Amino acid sequence: MTSACIYFEVHQPMRLNRFSVFNIGKNNDPLSTYFNHDLNKNIFEKVARKCYLPTNNLLLDLINKYDGEFRVSFSLTGTFIEYCQQYLPDVIESFIELFKTGAVDMIEETYYHSLASLYDELDEFEEQVKMHHQIINELFNYKPRVFRNTEAIYDNRVAKKIADMGYKGIITEGTEKILGWRSPNYLYKPVNTDLKILLRNYTLSDDVGFRFSARMWPGYPLTAEKYANWIAHCEGDIVNLFMDYETFGEHHWTETGIFDFLKHFPGEVLKHEHLDFVTVSEAVEKYEPVGEIDVPWAISWADADRDVSTWLGNDMQIACFNELKEIGRKLREKKDPVLLHTWRMLQTSDHLYYVSTKGLSDGDVHAYFSPYDTPYEGFINYMNILQDLKQKINQ
Amino acid sequence: MKIAMLGWEYPPFKAGGLATHCYGLTHSLADRDDVHVDFFMPKTRHTSKSDKKNLRVIEVGETEVFPYDRPDSKELSGQFFEAVDKYNKLVVAMVKKLVKTGGKYDLIHAHDWLTMKAAAVLKEDLGIPMVVTVHSTEYDRSGWLYPNQWFIDIEKKGMEKADKIIAVSHFTKRVITEKYGIPSEKVAVVHNAVYPIPEGEKQDIVLFLGRLTIQKGAEFFLRAAKKVAEYEPNTRFVVAGTGDMLPRLISQALDLGISDRVIFTGRLTDEEVKHIYGISSVYVMPSVSEPFGITALEAISAGTPTIASKTAGFSEVFNHCLRVDFWDTDEIANKVISLLRYPPLRKTLVQHGKHEIKLFTWDRVAEKTIDVYRGVL
Repeated sequence: MTSACIYFEVHQPMRLNRFSVFNIGKNNDPLSTYFNHDLNKNIFEKVARKCYLPTNNLLLDLINKYDGEFRVSFSLTGTFIEYCQQYLPDVIESFIELFKTGAVDMIEETYYHSLASLYDELDEFEEQVKMHHQIINELFNYKPRVFRNTEAIYDNRVAKKIADMGYKGIITEGTEKILGWRSPNYLYKPVNTDLKILLRNYTLSDDVGFRFSARMWPGYPLTAEKYANWIAHCEGDIVNLFMDYETFGEHHWTETGIFDFLKHFPGEVLKHEHLDFVTVSEAVEKYEPVGEIDVPWAISWADADRDVSTWLGNDMQIACFNELKEIGRKLREKKDPVLLHTWRMLQTSDHLYYVSTKGLSDGDVHAYFSPYDTPYEGFINYMNILQDLKQKINQ
Repeated sequence: MKIAMLGWEYPPFKAGGLATHCYGLTHSLADRDDVHVDFFMPKTRHTSKSDKKNLRVIEVGETEVFPYDRPDSKELSGQFFEAVDKYNKLVVAMVKKLVKTGGKYDLIHAHDWLTMKAAAVLKEDLGIPMVVTVHSTEYDRSGWLYPNQWFIDIEKKGMEKADKIIAVSHFTKRVITEKYGIPSEKVAVVHNAVYPIPEGEKQDIVLFLGRLTIQKGAEFFLRAAKKVAEYEPNTRFVVAGTGDMLPRLISQALDLGISDRVIFTGRLTDEEVKHIYGISSVYVMPSVSEPFGITALEAISAGTPTIASKTAGFSEVFNHCLRVDFWDTDEIANKVISLLRYPPLRKTLVQHGKHEIKLFTWDRVAEKTIDVYRGVL
């Protein structure tokens, strides 16, 4: 028996306002001056219309049609949930409805989709995981058992912390960097603690996430039947297919046939008698680790490098990251809930992602997702805001 | 392949990108075994010489007229047009003379409106193809405000007569097709290049360098400088170059109350230009209209991060610089101050910029120009 484990990342960052050096030190309310309410609302409503709502509806139909045999997992970030609550509560309602089918699992992560796991101390990280735990519990009356860090960032230290916090499993990238010759289609455990690691099968995941509408790709056009066959030919316990939820309707538009693909996907998989679907929690219950994994330096699923250079690859990014950390140290002494929340919203990793100057092929992906013309603009804007926040704390 | 190239300025006689381009192009062409270039230019106080076997610099007639001057008085403009006309006639005579003594040319290559007339005559009389490189048009030079029909007519006739036109950017190609009605397939784009300049000991200097004409937008530089000066008390501003706007710019600096912070250098020598690029911390190019903008690449090569007009031709193909609308002086000031305050921003721009600069070589320009030659032969 081989299980297909499907999991979707659902996240939206709070994009920033234009903030010039001349705005620094003006005595304004940080939340409304830092974040671009109109832009964020527009983007969210557009993505909800193109992706979240139609895909949720389709998944609900499919779960009902296959009587719960088709199972999926979600990781909803705290900022995403705040978006839903502010702009379109229907979206969160539709996730709750999906969850009620019993065929849907929820994954833990940092509330702010941040890089807090890379700070010198892990107290802020733990705090943000607890915040996420709380909001998921409030909305779904459920306590997630599997953790997925921002963009699957993983190292031994994070694994240890997550195990200590009581989680059963953790998700990261199935890269050769940590696997060597070994297959991603099994569970592993960290060298330093007791936890089950789910590894993304990046080839099969990216076949849908990145390549689905690429006409130059030899696999084009990808049908559900062809894809199910590829999965059926995989050796191992589990094939982890993890991707952005926006794959459906946003990265690949309706016209590419992505929704038809999804519609036929469960049926084609279930035609193979040795295949079934599991959620991430079921995966860690059902299967046992076959080996150990040692990750002293952080890996992730981002870009070709599969490390953290996407967010901390140049001097500008490191300068912003250091500012963030310093602001955190100052905030600890000052108990100000508004400034604390503002600081945390600014920790969302996307703000650093926009400052990446990585080479052309990866740079194209960055440009597609960035609200700025260049990473330099992204830096100036973000850094100006951090300087303003710092001044507010010192006041 | 034997080329008669008709130029106007050539280092050390130099007012802008035209001279830099002709120097870089002819030198890289002459490095090849299969090309011989005779470069024609007016005789000036400075003597231009070639140190290449396949390149001859031939001086014809005499002039000190700069091709981008926009003479105000009738008397001056009369002399100006007369000088250009005279030079064109002398060039025609000289080329023909050399054909008799040294054999025929395969192709005529002219640069900008200044030598288009001569090129057109030679094309007819010698029966050989004509290529024209457009470094700027009358629309650019006038800042799109009051373009002079006299220049436009010369440019249009020359472009129509040419077998192929080289534009220094897609921006310029668009002007050529839309304003001069030239079919798009007749225009090739060859972006300019740069000879790198060494980095110096950086000081708190924000630099403008260019002709002080309406095209280059120095007035926007001064307005942004006013805002920067309020926030950055130790920063100095240098306006390097000369042109018909100089008196107005000096009084503008006085009116803005920043005359003690701004240095007007006047015309600089090549060595002085290199020095000022090297020691500046920020270069601003707020051109109203900029077909290419070699100076931006020069500044970047000298380790000076650059803020340039969004429409500048070079930025079509160059990533590591900051872009602004030339009129948005608040945004120019925001970016200048950010560059001064945030060393990692400077460092990243310089590091990546210097790397990207390596793609902009005159050898590449020469290669693409030869492709154009082959297309018309």
